[in-house]
Formats: sequence, structure tokens, C-alpha cells
Amino acid sequence: MKKIHLEQIEGKSTGYLGLIALLGMFVLGAIGSMLYMEHEGHWVSGMDNQIVWGLPHVFAVFLIVAASGALNVASISSVFQKKIYKPLAPLSTLVALALLTGGLMVLVLDLGRPDRLIVAMTYYNFKSIFAWNMILYNGFFVIVGIYAWFMLDRTMKKYSRYAGIAAFVWRLALTTGTGSIFGFIVARSGYDMAMMAPMFVIMSFSFGLAFFILVLLASYNGTGRPLGDAVVNRLRSLLGTFVFATLYFVIVYHLSNLYATEHHGYETFILLGESGGETYSNIFWIGQIFLGSLLPIAMIYAPGVKNCRKTLAAACLLVVLGGLASMYTIIIAGQAYPMEMFPGMEVVSTTFFDGATTQYSASFPELLLGLGGVAMTLIMIALGIKVLGFLPATLEDSIADPHHKAE
Amino acid sequence: MTQLALIIDLNVCVGCSACVTSCKEWNTSGPAGFMSDDNPYQKDPTGTFFNRVQTYEVGEFPKTETVHFPKSCLHCEEPPCVPVCPTGASYKREQDGIVLVDYDKCIGCKYCSWACPYGAREIDEHQKVMKKCTLCVDRIYDETLPESERKPACVLACPTNARLFGDVHDADSEVSELIREQGGYQLMPEWGTQPSNHYLPRRKNKITIHKDELVRVDNPLNKEQKEHHKPVDGSVLDDNSFI
Repeated sequence: MKKIHLEQIEGKSTGYLGLIALLGMFVLGAIGSMLYMEHEGHWVSGMDNQIVWGLPHVFAVFLIVAASGALNVASISSVFQKKIYKPLAPLSTLVALALLTGGLMVLVLDLGRPDRLIVAMTYYNFKSIFAWNMILYNGFFVIVGIYAWFMLDRTMKKYSRYAGIAAFVWRLALTTGTGSIFGFIVARSGYDMAMMAPMFVIMSFSFGLAFFILVLLASYNGTGRPLGDAVVNRLRSLLGTFVFATLYFVIVYHLSNLYATEHHGYETFILLGESGGETYSNIFWIGQIFLGSLLPIAMIYAPGVKNCRKTLAAACLLVVLGGLASMYTIIIAGQAYPMEMFPGMEVVSTTFFDGATTQYSASFPELLLGLGGVAMTLIMIALGIKVLGFLPATLEDSIADPHHKAE
Repeated sequence: MTQLALIIDLNVCVGCSACVTSCKEWNTSGPAGFMSDDNPYQKDPTGTFFNRVQTYEVGEFPKTETVHFPKSCLHCEEPPCVPVCPTGASYKREQDGIVLVDYDKCIGCKYCSWACPYGAREIDEHQKVMKKCTLCVDRIYDETLPESERKPACVLACPTNARLFGDVHDADSEVSELIREQGGYQLMPEWGTQPSNHYLPRRKNKITIHKDELVRVDNPLNKEQKEHHKPVDGSVLDDNSFI
């Protein structure tokens, strides 16, 4: 394996500047949305006292979970010593940091009082898993930042493996914490399950890797740098494994729920669309299962598409969209399903929502805020690869693949 | 430890919502600031309330009954909303067991709303902090008020005395006696949250009355009626009075 150089991109082309401008408009739109909701009050959003976390949280949690998963490539190279991924490890850290920034941007701007962020950082209730997550998010920035620095700085490179191991442990803790935000909720039927934490870990592997592959394909396509099939096909099969594993966890999660009679109501709500859950059931089956899991698996493993980049990109895009659908099902549907206020009684209608299914429709500002987070992530990546040498100059098979045999 | 709480008698609550309006009036005028309302008289009204009266039709027609169910924060002894709060804005007072929100520390993350199994937490959509019943903490200790008025606004407003206020840890208090003697119960005790507020159940008194119990055996009227219908033979005194 030859030495691979990391080089900045030129970043002066019309396409590059146009992309930055377009993404910037989305970020401005998000800030405008936040100011609008801040000024008018949160009642202008689709959220209410039943659906307290809406579409922005779907984007935020997806981006945060994906941030951890985007570090897969770096972890495999540092912790598991896979040489083929070494040149991509710095890009992996950049994508991870950018995703976390985008996710936290949405999360913070969707808080009731984003102006009180300093309060959240100075008053900690250590019993709260939410407070632990704040520490985990901040720690992720520091540890992954140091890891990236050690990889890019020749004098510190010898320590990069230790930083990589620390980042690996931390990212697992981060996703465990994010999953536990939902796993620790005992009051609502759809949550209260320890399995949420490992399910979020495996979801992060899948969503983050899909996002990383999209960034990789787009940046090499955009810059015209050579990208060999060896790296891409390895990532392809890794993604297939993770999508399978995520699907397995989702199946086990629902089977566990089906085993407990108390959760039957929730399961028929999600799986069969009963009790007013048609929309959520459709999003689950069409979005999460078919488009987000089965179709990408077929596209990854179908014969004859092994070296097809377009199919892989489409599969990754579907995994990302399926990831958003998963988050929608977990976050929104879980809140929409009524809380059990009168056990043993069926509440047909009430005056103030108690016991009734809530229908949520996201408002436009909420959508803009969520998309702004994605745009923020992409801007950071685009600027990152321009300012610092995160992107290998070439990933040709003859250079990138340690097992390459000259023909 | 003192544990102040409300006792709500479902047997006499008529669902007039006087408690809702008096609560809103007192608390929206309080030092903590207004409780916002949007579209109050239009379609899809929305607003912040510490106390709401839920009305349920129980059973199927024609065997139905209407139950009015006032619900506010239950001031749990093990409140699930407190440990989840990332900044500690949500807390339980040691001196009287009231669960409160420090509006200055609340960041509006709404996670407490996820944790409360009773749906008692609401976000004020303009102040963007979480709000809930305070048991009128600014009123019950106000020594400028006559002692009889140092009670939550909802308790004072209830026209049927369906709401009572007191220390549920004091075995001799009126509320403890009611819980003991009238079957006061907690909402979903299986959560282990030990809600301090209690509900007194609807009471249905039924007695069986046999038909003979409705007939008075020694009714003097029976005798009179019998005599009244007896035909009178010959003339009586007044038949001859004016001759």
C-alpha cells in the first residue's frame, strides 16, 4: 500500500460556491424559523402538549445518532487496525463532528429557551439522562476533535490510536445515552425498554455509514478524484450488514412488545394502524421497513450491481430517509399514542386529549429548522475539506487497497 | 414531613369548571407572569392551564353516566418529572411536598412532559417554560390574606365543595379523614409515584324496596275512606235543621 496524501480541495468552482450558497440559504431559513417561532410563540408550530417533540427533534436525533455512526470508518481503522480505512479516518471524524453540530443546532434552536443554554451547561442534575447527554455531546466534540488533530498532526500521530479508542468508547456511550432518553421513559407505552439503547447504537452504525458513503461519493465525484471499487465495495457490504442488524433489532423490539399484553395496544397502533394510527403505521411499513431497510438491502446485495455507484448512492439515500422515518415512528408515534390514564377502560373521546390519539402535522418552520440542521452539517463538511486536508488525494485501488494485485 | 395535596370528590363535582377559571385568574395575575392563550374564542383554541376538567361519558347508551374528572399536577411523593429535569428546574419542596418548576432555570426541553405519566405538564407557548399547578404556593402562605382564604384558588371557587385542601400526612386532618373513611384513591398507584392528590370515588347508594313496604299497614286513611263510602241510611241532623 502506497502512501496516501490528504489534500484540501480547491473550492473555487461555481458548483462548490453554488452549493455553499444553497446550503447557506437553508441555514438562514432555519434561523428565520427559529426567530419566527420564538417571536410568535410555539403555538404556531405543529407541536402541542401531547406532541411536545416534533419534526425538528426527528432531524436532531437522527443527525446526532448518525454522528456517532459516521465515526465507524475511523473506529475500524484505529481500533481494529484495518489499513484500507486509514486514509478515510480524518474525513470520518469531520463528518461525525459536522453531523453532531447540525443535530445540536436543531436541538438547541428548538428548545423553549435556547437563550438559556448557559443554564443547561452550568446546572447539572446528574440523575437526568438528558443532562448526561449534554456531557456526552460536549465530550464527543472534544474527544473526536483531539482524535482528528492527532491524525492530521504528524508530531501527534503516534497517539492517534489511543484517541481513536477513546472516541470509539465515547461514541458508544453517546448513542447509548441518546437511546436511553427514550428507553428510560416509563410513562409511555412505546418506550420503557432497555433495548432502546443498543438499538440506537446499531441504528447509528447504519445511518451514519450511509451518510458517510454519500459524502464520500459526492466529494470524489465533485472533485474528480479517483475512487477505487475496493474501498467502496467494502463500505457497501458493511452498510448491508448494518442495515440487516438494524432491521433485526427493530423486529426483536416489536416482538418483545407483542409478547407483553400491556403493549398490545401500542403495537396494533404502529403495526396495524388501529386507534387512529394509520399515518404512523404507513410511515413505519413504507418508510422504515420497505424504503429504509428491505429496498436498500436488495440494492446492496442484488447480483450485477456490485460496482454500481449510483445504486449504492440510492441505497444510502434510502437508508437516510428510512432513518428519518424510524425517528419519526419512535419520537412522534410514541407520543401520539395516548397515555394509559384509566387502566382497563377504553377512552373513546375526552375534552382535553387525555386518552385520545393525537394527530401531528408539522408546520413549515419546523421542516425548515430540521433541514437547516442537515444544511449546516453539509456546509461544515464542505468547508472542512476546503480548509484542511481531510480528503485523500486519491483512493485508487492500486493505492488504497493493501491487498491489491497488479493485473 | 408535611405533604400538602388536594382531595377531589368525584361524587359532587358537577364539571362547572369554576376551579379552572379561578385557577387561571389567580395564576395568570401572579408574580410568575401570565399564562398564555391563543385563539381563545376561535377554532383550535390553545393555552396554558394548571387545572383542567376532563369530562367522560362512561358506559354505552343507554346505560351511560357522565364523569367530570378534574386533573392537575398530583404532587407525587416520588415525582418522575423531577429526576429527568436536566437543570434541576423541576423540584420538590421538602417543607410541604409541593412540586414546583423554577421558571428561571427551565430551558423548555419538555422532557418532564415525557416523564409525567399523568400528562400534567404543559408548556407555556409564549414564555416557553414548563408550567404546572403550584397549589397556589403564593397564596397559601400569604399572611395578608384572612386565614380562611389561604387555600388554593380552585378550592375556594368550587361551588359544591368537591375540592378540599390539606396535609395528607397528618392523620387528623380533614383530608386524611376523608381518604380513610370515603375510600380516597390515587390515580394509577401502580406507577409507584405515590400521587399526593386523591380522588373520592363516585358513590351510588341503592336500597331494595319491597312493594309491601310502600303500603302503610296502619294508615288511618284506609279506615276513613272505608267509612266515607258507606251509604248513609235515613236522614241525618242537617237534613232536618231548617225544617
